[in-house]
Amino acid sequence: MSVFVDITPDEAQVAKPTAQARQGQWRGRLTRAALPLLSVVVFLIVWQLAAAAAIWNQTFVPYPATVWRAFVDVSTTHDGVRGYAGYLLWEHLYMTLRRVFVGVVIGVALGVLLGLVMGSVGWVRSVLEPWLTFLRALPPLAYFFLLVIWLGIDEAPKITLLALAALPPAAVATTAAVVAAPVGLQEAARALGATPTQVIRDVVIPSALPETFTGIRLAVGMAYSSVVAAELFNGIPGIGGLVKDASNYNNTPVVLVGIFAIGFSGLVIDGLLRAAERRAVPWRGKS
Amino acid sequence: MKLKALLAAAAVATMALAGCAVDHSGQDAAKPTIRIGYQTFPSGDLIVKNNKWLEEALPDFNIKWIKFDSGADVNTAFIAKELDLGALGSSPVARGLSAPLNIPYQVAFVLDVAGDNEALVARNGPGVNTIADLKGKRVGTPFASTAHYSLLAALAQNKLSANDVQLVDLQPQAILAAWERGDIDAAYTWLPTLDQLRKTGKDLITSRQLAKDGKPTLDLAAVATEFAGAHPEVVDVWRQQEAKALDTIKVDPDAAAKAIAAEIGLTPEDVAGQLKQGVYLTPAEVASAEWLGAEGKPGNIAANLESASQFLAEQKQIPSAAPLKTFQDAIYTKGLPDALKQ
Repeated sequence: MSVFVDITPDEAQVAKPTAQARQGQWRGRLTRAALPLLSVVVFLIVWQLAAAAAIWNQTFVPYPATVWRAFVDVSTTHDGVRGYAGYLLWEHLYMTLRRVFVGVVIGVALGVLLGLVMGSVGWVRSVLEPWLTFLRALPPLAYFFLLVIWLGIDEAPKITLLALAALPPAAVATTAAVVAAPVGLQEAARALGATPTQVIRDVVIPSALPETFTGIRLAVGMAYSSVVAAELFNGIPGIGGLVKDASNYNNTPVVLVGIFAIGFSGLVIDGLLRAAERRAVPWRGKS
Repeated sequence: MKLKALLAAAAVATMALAGCAVDHSGQDAAKPTIRIGYQTFPSGDLIVKNNKWLEEALPDFNIKWIKFDSGADVNTAFIAKELDLGALGSSPVARGLSAPLNIPYQVAFVLDVAGDNEALVARNGPGVNTIADLKGKRVGTPFASTAHYSLLAALAQNKLSANDVQLVDLQPQAILAAWERGDIDAAYTWLPTLDQLRKTGKDLITSRQLAKDGKPTLDLAAVATEFAGAHPEVVDVWRQQEAKALDTIKVDPDAAAKAIAAEIGLTPEDVAGQLKQGVYLTPAEVASAEWLGAEGKPGNIAANLESASQFLAEQKQIPSAAPLKTFQDAIYTKGLPDALKQ
């Protein structure tokens, strides 16, 4: 899952109360809903044609129908076998989402706190910045084995890995946002008699919030793209463990089911975060 | 202007880097290339590679050795037609020969048979003394490996199913970490991890015993059918080098250990210990009815592969087991047993 910064214009800005504009707005909404759908249909047709052309082996490009059958098999109990490796697809997905949720909450909470401190206190920023950059440069696979040695094979190393993946983007975005809080507003508040705490609470945080939210969305994306690494050892039940296990058996249809499950849930989560962002910071882009 | 200069610099750097990859393989573009996939388990493959026997015996070909970490990756490379010869376990071969993969390759050599170098080890102390005691315990093994197959075979012997124990998917180095932390009660794995577990644990069963009971696991070498049809003489030369390597392991184990050690970064003493625990057949045994068999009479290995295929079907990793005929057709017996005599 990648993070796109909102590029669709805010509907409130576009809305004008004339009938003609309203009609245009409806057409716009329709296009916006139809285009992604159309792209999915085109994708499926191209996929089917590519599979039917049989240029590549079935292991590389299975038919969409084969993948659909794998999806149904993984989601149901059939011939006395429960889903994949004893768990249904939603159970794999649920376990992964639970790990991501806990990891992201810890990572983002620590990251935002760190960011606030680093943005407000210069020397803390100088001390911690190289450490954060160092952590950010590490691929999770490189240090996951150490986490296993230190923390065992159960939930602890997985959640720690996801938290470590989520922390730097949240911290960096928050730091940048706090540093960029308009000095004029801060000084105006101070001149009006606000205490330092009040300045941070009423001026710095509200102006930093939109960018912090972008950082949080980035953090969720980073954590989500690390799930296969996090579930490398003892990852079942878990969608990352499912993908890894199926690929060990050259079981491409199940690998694709897992990838689609990760991708779709990623889309849904990003959509929820965007909605939360619109609620929480309606002043984004209008200061 | 500045942007243009930057773009130009990036383009030049890309071209320059593309031209100077680090490559010591010494390939000659004028000669055809034989692509061989190998893995780092101790076997004759590594002796042939380290001593450059193939390069000497086939001066008219480039030999390209490609390292793989698992049989699944070797299978993928065969499907992509990127390999002519490859080393992989019996379990991946059974999977490759069954539907839906149906990889067009044939088993041309037995590199080794798992002996005491793969075993099920339980922690010392009260609690687990037999396989039946494992009920409800946590057992680690690398999924999709020969050890995974052996573990389930050992459980089945004792009337246990995979659901009666808590199976944990761990690679060998993670097994060691989990063992030392006390996260698992037993593990089915291979050397060198195995010897470290044995310091604080005991063998419940080894793959040598399972082989006697009719469930052997093997490391095999496969040849792409197309390649074997086009270059049977190259396959003959290659088989002779592999046979020579098996003889070396028997006759001059120190030289064998030294060559293998140089390839996998262990000391010759460690490798010598590992070689003692594995089962290395003589070339005559490889061509006997128990393993590959003779031309026109494929050996018992086909039945082993069929049994591995049935196991995969029970695990729901393939839709159904392939018939014995499929595996008999997939044994490359051309010229056996004489082809292995030097």
